[in-house]
Amino acid sequence: MNAWLYVHAPQLLLDTQLALQTSAQQQQPQVLLAGSRVGARQVVQYNQAAAAAGIALHMAEVTATTLVAELQLRPYQVAHEQAILEQLAQLWYQDIAHIALYPPQGLLFEIASVLRLYGGFQGLLQQLQQRLQEWPIRYVVASGDTPLRARLLAQAGQSLLSNDADSVQQAVAQLPISASDLEPVHITRLQQVGITTIGALQQRHRSALGKRFGRAMTEYLARLNGELPMPQQYYQPPAQFAQQLDLLAEVSSWQQLLFPLRRLLQQLEAFLQARQLSVRALLLQVKHRDGQHTEQLIGFAHPVWQLKDMLGLTQLQLERQQLTQPALELALQAQRLEPRQPHHGDLVQASSEGAAPTQSLGELVSRLQARLGEQAVQIAQPQRDWRPQQVQQWQVWQAGTATAMAMPQLPRPLWLLTSEQAIDPQQWQLQWGPERLASGWWDDAPCQRDYYIAVDQQQRQGWIFHSEQGWFVHGWFT
Amino acid sequence: MQLQQLLQQGLVWQGQQQQRHDQQQFVDSGWVELNQNLGGGWLRGSVNELQVAQPFSGELALLVPLLRQLQRPILWINPPAQPYLPGLLHQQIEHSPLLVRTDSHQHALWALEQAIQSRQFGVLLTWLPELSAAWVRRLQQAAEQHQQLVFIITAWQHTDEARAYVNRLQLQRCADRFQVGIKKRRFGWPLAPFVCPIDQLLPTRRRLVS
Repeated sequence: MNAWLYVHAPQLLLDTQLALQTSAQQQQPQVLLAGSRVGARQVVQYNQAAAAAGIALHMAEVTATTLVAELQLRPYQVAHEQAILEQLAQLWYQDIAHIALYPPQGLLFEIASVLRLYGGFQGLLQQLQQRLQEWPIRYVVASGDTPLRARLLAQAGQSLLSNDADSVQQAVAQLPISASDLEPVHITRLQQVGITTIGALQQRHRSALGKRFGRAMTEYLARLNGELPMPQQYYQPPAQFAQQLDLLAEVSSWQQLLFPLRRLLQQLEAFLQARQLSVRALLLQVKHRDGQHTEQLIGFAHPVWQLKDMLGLTQLQLERQQLTQPALELALQAQRLEPRQPHHGDLVQASSEGAAPTQSLGELVSRLQARLGEQAVQIAQPQRDWRPQQVQQWQVWQAGTATAMAMPQLPRPLWLLTSEQAIDPQQWQLQWGPERLASGWWDDAPCQRDYYIAVDQQQRQGWIFHSEQGWFVHGWFT
Repeated sequence: MQLQQLLQQGLVWQGQQQQRHDQQQFVDSGWVELNQNLGGGWLRGSVNELQVAQPFSGELALLVPLLRQLQRPILWINPPAQPYLPGLLHQQIEHSPLLVRTDSHQHALWALEQAIQSRQFGVLLTWLPELSAAWVRRLQQAAEQHQQLVFIITAWQHTDEARAYVNRLQLQRCADRFQVGIKKRRFGWPLAPFVCPIDQLLPTRRRLVS
């Protein structure tokens, strides 16, 4: 029984960068260089266009640039690759609970429990591959009866997937000693005495090897055979979501940021799915060349968790925005995480007033607010106040906020003017009144008014009042 | 052959006979004469134009009986003043109004279209200037597809260019009576203004001394 699976992604950083490029850009030869001094750097990762042009692993920088004049060079950053590995673990955490990180390029899965769930290796691999649809990275997967065997096979590029422990052991025995992951000094010494494969090493007496190479060698062999258990530190997903992306080239508009943003939102969707959470606000942060950054808060009127909803609403809000300076980095933070609520409430059934709604009121309001601004959609809230203009207050729409108002005793107009307009009482004919409304002496907007119902010269029925300042129209009944 | 003979033989189709329509499609407007003239009431899944010479000249009072019967909320896009809760309650309109304010007519149309597609509302009220024929057609198609009742309240239009509205009404107060003129209706010819007794819903008016 092979209970371990190891994924080795030797080009993880470069592949992730390529995934954000256009296909024309991907056709350009590109390499990542490692090394401390400029000039003495070596190629550690390269794309297919570079390989086609003759670039090989560990090629010196000077050779590579001589070979391909238009080669794009970027420094290899191990910290970035490690962060990407964590994102990868987070993505696959939806499928497999036990993931150990082997930075910067490897992930170890404990799969004994999930093999049956996915119907064997093929099913499991399909599931893993499905998550990578929009993130095409090159990787090697190998199974093993011990973590070390799976890892050695994957790192050597042999994707052996089998339930048979013997075949794994044979394949590992045939690996060259240089692929053993032992210290370089030991590898050289073993090669000097004629031990060129891992199998040859295993045939030696362990005590003799121990005397010559020390305790590390006996432990290595014990781990290889699974005699010494390797405690694994399994990946624990973070409780908050905050991720960022390098943009590689400067981006000057929000529209162009949507594509990289989609990647981040996809990760957020996985994050939310794993925890059964929903999100009410996103904080986008764009970093500029001079170290400054721009922030953009994106709020949703209803909780969302699906990529298409988050992306659609974000897009609508960003259409209203301008990016003042070109962006170099994009960061996304999820704010106001909430447990998902089962759908209920405003899903009105099909009724005499028409077909069943296609979306909830909250979804509609989210869309409208995204395009028009949060203040654009409002609902009236009744207040306990006698003053006509304070009886209702307009508030930003929120789910389930409607409250009842006491039935007014006297006629009130259907319309209220936001600010009363001065009128000439000569042109109005009084119909009913006065009703004295005096209130608000406790705050700075006291009012003492005599309200009348009256019609103007166009025969429109209005609500007018007389106060110390004169005559005003305040509302309309029609 | 005399016209009367043709009529008796049933060889001439007369539009006025075609008064029977599926009552299910219609929402009672609350006004007997208006119901008759519109073929049964407001048509569900329709965009209707209400032309008013001035805001507040009776357009909302005309819709009060309709708004009273709704179970779903009412959407107000760019009304000329605030809908007033106590006044709505006084007229037994119980839904708290949902108000959308936009800074351009394009945004208002977009919001209206989105709202029609959501099928969330009993009635959608939108205040707009004259609409292009293309937009009216587009809204009418959406309203019909999603079975939503839409009113566009607009200024008095002097041109007679065709629009795809189901009904186009001109509202005015003439000689102290509120009158409805029908410029276009789905089930019949245009009609001269007739009196609609909206005053019975409003605070009592004293008759003008003429």
